[in-house]
Amino acid sequence: MSAPFYKFGLFGDEASFIIAFVIGIGFGFFLERAGFGSGRKLAAQFYFRDLSVLKVMFTAIITAMTGVYLLSRLGMMDLSLVYLVPTFLVPQIVGGLLLGVGFVIGGYCPGTSCVSAVTGRIDGMVYLVGMIAGLLGFAEVYPYVQNYAHMTPMGQITLAKLFNLPYGLLVFAVVLMALGAFMAAEWAEKKVGGKEPDPKGSFIARPWRLTPVRILAMGLAAAGFVALVAGDPYRGSHATIDTKDLAIRAGSGADSIQVGQLADWIIQGRNDFKLVDLRSGTDFAAYHIPTAENVPLASLTPDFAAHNEKIILCSEDGTQAAKAWFLLEAQGFKSVYLLDGGLRSWQDMILFPKKSDKTDEAVFDRQMQVAKFFGGTPQAEGTSAPASVAVALPQVAPPAQPAVSEPAAAKVQPKKKKEGC
Amino acid sequence: MIALTALTELTVSRHNPLVDPHLHIWEWQIPVYLFFGGMVAGLMIIAGVRLIALRPQQREALVCCTIGPLIGLFFLSLGMFTLFLDLSHKLYVWRLYTTFQITSPMSWGSWILLLVYPALVANALAHLPEAIPALAKRFPILVTVSDFILARVQWVVGIGVANVMVGIALGIYTGILLGALGARPLWNSAVLGPLFLFSGLSTATALLHGILVITTPDEERPAFADFLLSALAQLTQARPLDKNVGPVLARADNSFLTIELALLGLFLLGHMTSTGIHQQAASLLLTGSYGAVFWVFVIGLGIVLPLVLQSLELQNRIRHTIAPVILVVFGGIALRFILVYAGQESHWFQALN
Repeated sequence: MSAPFYKFGLFGDEASFIIAFVIGIGFGFFLERAGFGSGRKLAAQFYFRDLSVLKVMFTAIITAMTGVYLLSRLGMMDLSLVYLVPTFLVPQIVGGLLLGVGFVIGGYCPGTSCVSAVTGRIDGMVYLVGMIAGLLGFAEVYPYVQNYAHMTPMGQITLAKLFNLPYGLLVFAVVLMALGAFMAAEWAEKKVGGKEPDPKGSFIARPWRLTPVRILAMGLAAAGFVALVAGDPYRGSHATIDTKDLAIRAGSGADSIQVGQLADWIIQGRNDFKLVDLRSGTDFAAYHIPTAENVPLASLTPDFAAHNEKIILCSEDGTQAAKAWFLLEAQGFKSVYLLDGGLRSWQDMILFPKKSDKTDEAVFDRQMQVAKFFGGTPQAEGTSAPASVAVALPQVAPPAQPAVSEPAAAKVQPKKKKEGC
Repeated sequence: MIALTALTELTVSRHNPLVDPHLHIWEWQIPVYLFFGGMVAGLMIIAGVRLIALRPQQREALVCCTIGPLIGLFFLSLGMFTLFLDLSHKLYVWRLYTTFQITSPMSWGSWILLLVYPALVANALAHLPEAIPALAKRFPILVTVSDFILARVQWVVGIGVANVMVGIALGIYTGILLGALGARPLWNSAVLGPLFLFSGLSTATALLHGILVITTPDEERPAFADFLLSALAQLTQARPLDKNVGPVLARADNSFLTIELALLGLFLLGHMTSTGIHQQAASLLLTGSYGAVFWVFVIGLGIVLPLVLQSLELQNRIRHTIAPVILVVFGGIALRFILVYAGQESHWFQALN
């Protein structure tokens, strides 16, 4: 069981609505209990008198961030399937400023205005009506501002990618930033608002006892520290996609999968990718990489797979796959990869790896095992590749499950030996 | 051979028009009518019980025994109007009253509805002058009628019993109307009768509670909200409101909601332990295309959340507000809409799929 549950098909639309309802009720309840149904309390943060909003929101951010990070790192969640809103820098800065102005004037942000409205506050209801009117108005004028709204596209960017920093370092930095902000907020509340910190919920007030708030802060800091040393939470390489970015990406080769990596994945029985074989049906029938699906280039319509699914394209030498790569990118598929070198490379490096002087013994042993698993034969130094590759290829694709694959590999092996001689 | 082909087409592909019955023929009118019918049934039962159980001095009759039946009359008329809108041959509606068919829920319904009006009117008249003095001043006959009724204990008890009996009949009938139809597996359960009765009782109790909350003077309420409510406030100036009725209504509503929840459970349990067709019908609500709306609007917002809110109100942890009232009323509407729509989607052919 791996998150995100919805994207892994653990439940459908109906169940997700019910879960959304439960989460929404919980969210509203805690916002209300935190006092965020009151416009006075919300507006007080702009005067530095009461910074609870900052504290609550920053706590939510770092809790979610460390939680998502740790779950991904433990393999319980695939971060690459979590939806990221694409960034359009200038329009989003303008939008953020507009939202802030609305927040200062009206005293609410969208979520808190709902809380305020349902708890019977007239100003909340008026705000909600205004917000809905604004949404409708924006929808009406959208066609005219569309070009502007799509200015300065940066794709689905994260801070880690933008600054080219290790993901874990960024997690740790944000946690530290949040804890610093909490202390600064308390200081500001005392200086500007004249609010004496409540010892129960305070960071900096004496006595220096281990209150629940401090324990929580230490826990978050510890989680951030773990992130610092635990590495990247993404599974394998992951690239952001944007049409303007496409040309650069195509040139960089960052979105190709090495045959060795693919072989490892198949042996591990991983099923979080879709291996697509683009060759003709007869070629596919003669041999294909285990778990591959035969999809002709023309059938690559936008609905042939889920857009967030990891797709690995392979063809004879890679040209067909490259065409398909552009096709799928243009259709908005989020993670499309090329099998580097295509099936030819697969043959040379996986099925019939060659031993040369430079090859390390241990490495070759491993290559031999991999080759055996896929029904191939390692080649000794100097022997040329089999003249007729088509005949040399294993006729039966071994199943993906390692347990079952052993007898299957054994069954086809004698035939290969005969060919090798 | 031709006959065989035709038979194949009829039974297998069923492409011919009118071979399959047109399955979705009830639209918004029916659930709206069922909702108002159930609510009026609840209002009648509450008014009747208070008329029977309490002495005139204790009765504090305003909300339950006068406003309740008056609103009941209005809502019943609205409901009957939507029912009338649904009729294909509107001019022949009088023919329903030329016969009584003991096996037809529709026939039972039309006659019960005819009895509801006099029972409600009698109930309202009993306490009308003390509830709305202005009206009594203008029409002195109201005082005469009220005095005449209140002077005779057996009349008061008779009106009360009539209200309770007709109310129960009306509430159960709205469920049996659906439940008696075997062609829709989802509806085919006798539990629908008591389910709609208790749902009607809970919406009626919630409505009365809401009226109490709104008409209670409140310093925290902005002036213009009070201005909007001034029409109702005028009515209530005649005498102090039944303050202690509020908690009673909240407690009663909690009981009704709990029973409704249990009956919903029994209803679904009955289906889930029945044939595959019934299981399929129940799964329309539990996991199928009506799953989200059923769990969110009927169970979550319509029953569980108001139960929690009203429990907190009864423990004096939060103020009495109209929030649970709105939730219960919309939950009642949602229950009827979802059952009527999902029921029409459930049919015996689905077992083949």
